[in-house]
Order: sequence, then structure tokens, then C-alpha cells
Amino acid sequence: MLKSKIIWFIPAIIFFLLPLSCAEQRSDPILKIGLHEEPKTLNIWLASDANSKRILSLIYQPLYLRAPDTLDLIPWLAADQPEFHPDTISYTVRLKQAKWSDGSEVTSADVAFTANLIKEFKIPRHYSQWKFIKKIETPDNHTVIFYLSRPEAIFRDRTLTTTIVQEKEWSQIAENAKKQKKPLRFLLNYKIDNPVGCGPFVLTEWQKGAYVHLKQSPYFFGKNRRIDRRLIGPYIDDILFKIYGTSDVAVLALKKGSIDMFWWGLQPGYLKNLQQHKGIKVLFNKKSALYFMGFNVRKKPFEDVNLRRAIAVLINKDFIISRILQGYGTRMDSIVPPGNKYWFCPDVDLYGKGLDRKERIKKAYHILRNAGYTWVVPPVDNNGHVVSGEGIRTPDERLMEPFEILTPPADYDPLRAMSGLMIQEWLRAIGMPAFSKPMAFGALLEQVKGRHEFDAFVLGYGRLSLDPDYLRNFFLSSNDKPRGWNMSGYKNRYFDQLANQSASEMNREIRKDLIWKMQKIIMADVPYIPLYDPKLIEAVRNDTFRGWVNMLDGIGNIWSFCQVKPVSR
Amino acid sequence: MKEPDRKNIFTPGSIFSDRLLENWSIFKENLLGKIGLTLLIIFAFMAVASFFTPLIDPMYNPMTGVDPNISYSTGPSFHHWLGTDFIGRDILSQLLAGARIAFMVGISAAFMSIVLGTFIGMVAGYAGKSTDALLMRLADMIMVMPTLLVVLILSSLFGQLNIWIIVLLIALFRWPGVSRVIRSQTLSLKQRPFIEAAKVAGASPLRIIFRHILPNVLPLSLLYMTFRVTSAIIIEAALSFLGFGDPGTVSWGMMLQWVWKTGNMFQAPYWLIPPGICISLLTLAFYMLGRAMEEVIDPRLRKEVEGE
Repeated sequence: MLKSKIIWFIPAIIFFLLPLSCAEQRSDPILKIGLHEEPKTLNIWLASDANSKRILSLIYQPLYLRAPDTLDLIPWLAADQPEFHPDTISYTVRLKQAKWSDGSEVTSADVAFTANLIKEFKIPRHYSQWKFIKKIETPDNHTVIFYLSRPEAIFRDRTLTTTIVQEKEWSQIAENAKKQKKPLRFLLNYKIDNPVGCGPFVLTEWQKGAYVHLKQSPYFFGKNRRIDRRLIGPYIDDILFKIYGTSDVAVLALKKGSIDMFWWGLQPGYLKNLQQHKGIKVLFNKKSALYFMGFNVRKKPFEDVNLRRAIAVLINKDFIISRILQGYGTRMDSIVPPGNKYWFCPDVDLYGKGLDRKERIKKAYHILRNAGYTWVVPPVDNNGHVVSGEGIRTPDERLMEPFEILTPPADYDPLRAMSGLMIQEWLRAIGMPAFSKPMAFGALLEQVKGRHEFDAFVLGYGRLSLDPDYLRNFFLSSNDKPRGWNMSGYKNRYFDQLANQSASEMNREIRKDLIWKMQKIIMADVPYIPLYDPKLIEAVRNDTFRGWVNMLDGIGNIWSFCQVKPVSR
Repeated sequence: MKEPDRKNIFTPGSIFSDRLLENWSIFKENLLGKIGLTLLIIFAFMAVASFFTPLIDPMYNPMTGVDPNISYSTGPSFHHWLGTDFIGRDILSQLLAGARIAFMVGISAAFMSIVLGTFIGMVAGYAGKSTDALLMRLADMIMVMPTLLVVLILSSLFGQLNIWIIVLLIALFRWPGVSRVIRSQTLSLKQRPFIEAAKVAGASPLRIIFRHILPNVLPLSLLYMTFRVTSAIIIEAALSFLGFGDPGTVSWGMMLQWVWKTGNMFQAPYWLIPPGICISLLTLAFYMLGRAMEEVIDPRLRKEVEGE
């Protein structure tokens, strides 16, 4: 009898215990994010690639951030808005009570150290935003006073949004660097394995070629605080970054549920398929970007403004938006994106806007004919009909030499490569010997920015700052130097005067007037033809995490990572 | 005076036509050869048709023509039998243009590599000694270089390559195989009495090579050309697919690159499959043709087949 009971009892126990053993231990899931490439470095001063910056943006923090809705400057590590003292041209910034991820306190000395480090080593990409700081005072542990050598409009928007580093972590590295022959090189190449930041996450492991693991920092200053009317988290304990070489594989991983978000803009071709998928949400956000065609105005044939204007007429931007970008982009008629409403000047030359193909060719033909250009076969015949133009001659009666339009390759950016190809065809219609030439991105930059050996190019700035100071940088005569910002070699004294004035103008309204004037000059002289500002298409799983914050330049922002939480919560 | 009987006079033309007919009768017995030739004729028709499609309507221009009513990738329809790509270009027109490019790339690269390989092979075989050693070591060095990888590196160094430069590079990397075969054939021919006779008659080495050796190795060169066409087409397609092709040409590899890079790989089978199938079929056609020609040229293979 007992034996038979045991025989029944054992299977019964197994039957009840088996499901328990299979059940997952309940804990918050890990947020899994797909990256397109591996980060190149964890050294904040060297990080210039998108993926390194993305990971480091969760570790190192700035004094101020942009609000996602209004894009206003919001105190982040700072306690409140900066106070400006016009008499001494100084700003006072007070800090929040915050701690580094090693538990030590964030002090004004760290802020002063960061500023001095950037200035002393002339750290690329940061130095221009700090070089006008004359002196920094730290009256107490939580107050910093910045004295400017002259009024600088970019101080609030650019300087105060630089990330702050810990003095304790970097002072010894800086001291060692100073002893080297090339201090900056030593500083930039210094290998950082465990970056100490004051952000919401800290690095736990970087398995090269496989993943990067971050966990929540126990010392994050924002936790449970209300900043910009948002209750800040983070509400997730871990983030795992996985590397996917191609968008196709990452999209498959997203659909399968292997990742919760792919931190990379998607091509419109993926949309239909993703939108039909039940567990996936596609998000659209504007970008503060500028994609443009630039000319080398230092030499023939593009030293002639009439030729540049004719090309501006011939380019069908609406075609590029509707076809190549599949409608996911905005036409650009000025260097400042239209989304940047305060600074964008709508009152500029629109060239070919609203014209059809024949009207474009006729208008461009008239511009060029009036400037002294002739043709073997004119693109408009005696009866006013548009025909295929051949053999364009410059005003000095010479046949126009073939010229190249350099673009990034299609595997890097199919949109720009395809735009270059279409522009080539539109220019050929009027008899211009244009040749679109996609080339490796590094080689292209070296040719355009380094050696200035080019005719024309199609490039873009994917993340323009909201402050329009770039307008000055792109076209200032003194920036026409190897590796300088003025790639076109544009020179205009009046523009330079306005540009320098705008840089030191602290009154927003007066500065806006100057910026508008600068935009009008550039669009009249067209060293660059602005083409488009693409929309950012991103995809996330909506059955695992929620709370992504839409913002200019997408959902991959610090607000999202401090707000996103598991769906189950 | 009685006229000579013309039927019994052997002119070079009659010998050539007789041989051609004889070879054709052997070739047409070969099933692989017939399939290959049929496929080639179909692709040749496609290549010729590509010149006419833009004349029907400008929207059928494979590079710049777009359907004014379609601005995204769509499936097959009455106006677009294979559908449209992501900006509304006709996929069939692109496929036809791709056939033209494939023929151009394949035949030009193969022809160049055969000319180079045959010449070097004959010179090495006939001259012997240090010339032979030098040329064959050069051939060995080039033979071990991975063509695709080298062209990829050159492309990333010098920017995007023009289609003719791609053709030239393929030709420059694909001659060593041919030169080795031609060299061994030349070594065998060199010992034949007619070469000795030519030498005794005072013929110069160049005359011997071009007048006496070349006609004997030419069928072998042509046979190898069919195989080289295959590899040239595949290399160009691979380069284009990886983004290193000539962006100014519509090749099948370029079509595959567009479908991949625009995110339509898994969404638009009507765009993905046709160029893939065309690449496979055209290379298969040249391969089959080569196999059949091998049988024509080498009687031993024929006997084996007959004996089965």
C-alpha cells in the first residue's frame, strides 16, 4: 500500500514542481538596444563617432540640456538658469547636489577643471566653445563664475552644454600628458576603461565585438527629482547594447524581440513591414540637419555666381524629397533648417521652387545666356522648345571642362549618392558635363576639407546645433584654410562683418536680424545649395518598454533613458 | 582548255567553313551547349531591347526615368511588368540595361584577360629560360591575389571606380590562369616539326609565335574566354552589390545594392529576385557554352561521351 502511495506521490511532486522550475525569476528586464557599429572609444575627448557619443551621453552629463518639447535650455547638473552680469561680462552658474559614480561629490572645481583642460589642451570640437573664457572663479563648492573676454552669443547654448568630467579621474592623466612631447595626442589616446560620470548609468562591461553593458548608477543626481515637469528615473536597471552590422539584421532582431530599440535611423523601405508588425512602434522625429550641394568657389567654373544660381534653379528639391526621401524629409531653402523657427529666414531666393522641368531649364538657360554662356546646341531652341543641350561654353568662349560632383558612397548614405546622381542628370539636360562620383567618406572629406581639390560635392551635417553660429563658421573668410569649416572657399567682407557682429551680439532680436541678413546673402551667392533635412525614422518594441521621449534628433536622448520603463510596471 | 574542277580545290575559306560546320554538328549534339546558347540568345535580346525601352517612354530610362504617378516601390503592374524601385523607376528596364552591362563587362574583361594571357603564355613557352621563369613567377604572384579584395581596396583608396577601370582591373587579375595553359600548349607545339621547319626557313620568333603557334592555341584561348566571362560578371556584380561599382551604370549588382540599401530586401521580392536570377543564369549560360566548346575542341572528351 505504502509502495503504491509513493509511486503516485513522486510523479505528483514532479508534476507540481516542474512548472515552478521553468518559471522565470521575476525581475526588471534589461533594455536591449541595437547599435549599427561598435563604439570606437570611451575617452570622452576622443569620441567623435555616433556610437561612442551615444554610450558616453548616458555616463557624462552637461550643466544644461535642451527640453524635449520646447528646446529651451533646462538646468540639468546646474541648479538654475545662469545669471548674466553685463558689467563684468560674466555668468554665474550654481550646481545641484550631485555625486560621481564613485560616490564623490560633484563640485565647482570639477567644472573649472573641465574648462581649463579644454582650454589648455585645445581639445578639438570643444576648444572653440571655451577659448573666450578669460577666467573661472569657484567661490564655493557649488558656484562657478565664468568671465568672458568678450560677449559671446554661443556661451549659453554651446559652452554650457559641454559635458563635465571628474577632476580626480582626469587630473593625473592631464599631468602625465603635459610631460609628453605631444600632450594632446596623449590625452586623446589615453585608454579609459571605466569612465567616471555623474549620469544615470555606469559602464560595467564592454565585450568588444559583442556587447556593452551599462547598469543604473546608485548616485545619479536626477533620480526621483522633477526636472522640466518630468519625474526622472531611470526606471531600468540595465542597458545592453548589441552590435548589428547592417540594418537588415537589426530589424530582424527587433521583430524577433532580441532587441527593444534600434538606435539608428531607418530607411523608408523598412516602414511598411515594421508598421504591420504588432509588437513594433515606428517613431518619426525631425532632425536639425543640413544636406546640401557645395561648390568650390575658389576656381572655375564655380567661381561664377551665375552658374551656381542656374544650378540652384535646375535642382528639383521636391523630387529629392518625394522620391529619394520618400516624403520623409523637409525641403531646405536656407542654411538654417525651417524647423529652427526662430532663426530660420523664410525671405530668401527660392530659385526653382514650384517650377516644372521645362520651366527650370528655361529659367537656368536665361540666367546663363545673360551671363555670357553659349552652347553648341542650346537647351532652348529658336521656337522656345526645350531640347537636349550640348556643349556649354563659358563666357570666355571655352567649352566647359567636365566637373565632378563628389558624394558619399551608396553603402554609406544611399540618399546622398542618389541625389548626386539625379543632380548630374539635371545638369546634363542643359549641356553641362557633370559627373557624379561617389567615393569613400574619409577620402571625400580629405579631398574637400583637407586639400580643397574638388569642383562640387554633396555633403551633410546630421546634427546641427540649434544656435545658428554654424552659419558664421561655414562661410567666414578666415575659415577658408585646410581642414577649416569654410569648405567652399567663400569670401565676402560684408558677410564677415555681419558674422562677427552676430557672434558677439547678446541681444537675441538684434542677433536674429543679423542671422537673417546672413542667410539672405548666402542664398543670393549660393556657395552651398541647401537640399533637404531628412526625418528620422526609428523603431522600438512597444510590448516590452514604454515612455520613449520624442525630441528633435530622435528618441535616443537622455530624457528617454530617464523615463523609459518596462510595460509591466 | 579544260577548267579545273573547283570542288576539288581546297581554299582556306572552304577549310574554315567545313571545320565550322563540322564543329557545329558536334556542338548541336551537346544538350548543355544548346541550353547555354539559348540562354545567351535570350540575354542578348534583352541587351538589345534595353536600347529601345527609353524610346517607348522617358519613364523607361533605367537610370533617370520615373513613373510620374509612382514614388515608391510597387509590385508588377500593366505599365511595369516587374514593378518599380524605391523612386518609381521601372525594374524591367533596369534588368534589360543590366544585361547590356553584364555582356559588356563580361566579354570585355574576358577578352582583355585572354589577349594578355595568351600573349604572355606564348612568349613564356616559346622563349623559355629566364623569360619563362620571370613571366610565370609574375603569373603566380597575381594568381594568388584575391581579385575582389584587391579591387575593393583600390576602390576605397581612389574613390568609386569607373566601369571601364573595373573591367581593366578584372582583366589584369584574371590572365595568369590562361597564360599557364597556353604556355604548356606552346611548350608542346614548340617541339613539333612545323615549328622546326619554320625556324630553318628563317622565320623570326615573333612570326613563329603569331603565324604558327597562335592559330593552334586560339581555340583553347576562346574556350577559356567563356569561363573568364563568368568570373568577370560575378566580380562586377559583387563589387556593385557591396557599393563599389560604377554608380553611373545600371548593372544587376547595382540593382541588388539599391534593394538592399533602401531597406526593401525583404519587402520587395519582385525587385530582389530578377537580378539575382539573371546573374545566375547568364553565368550558367557561359559555363555551359564553355563545357560544350571543350568537347568540340578536345576529341578525347567526345569519345568518352560517345562511349558512355
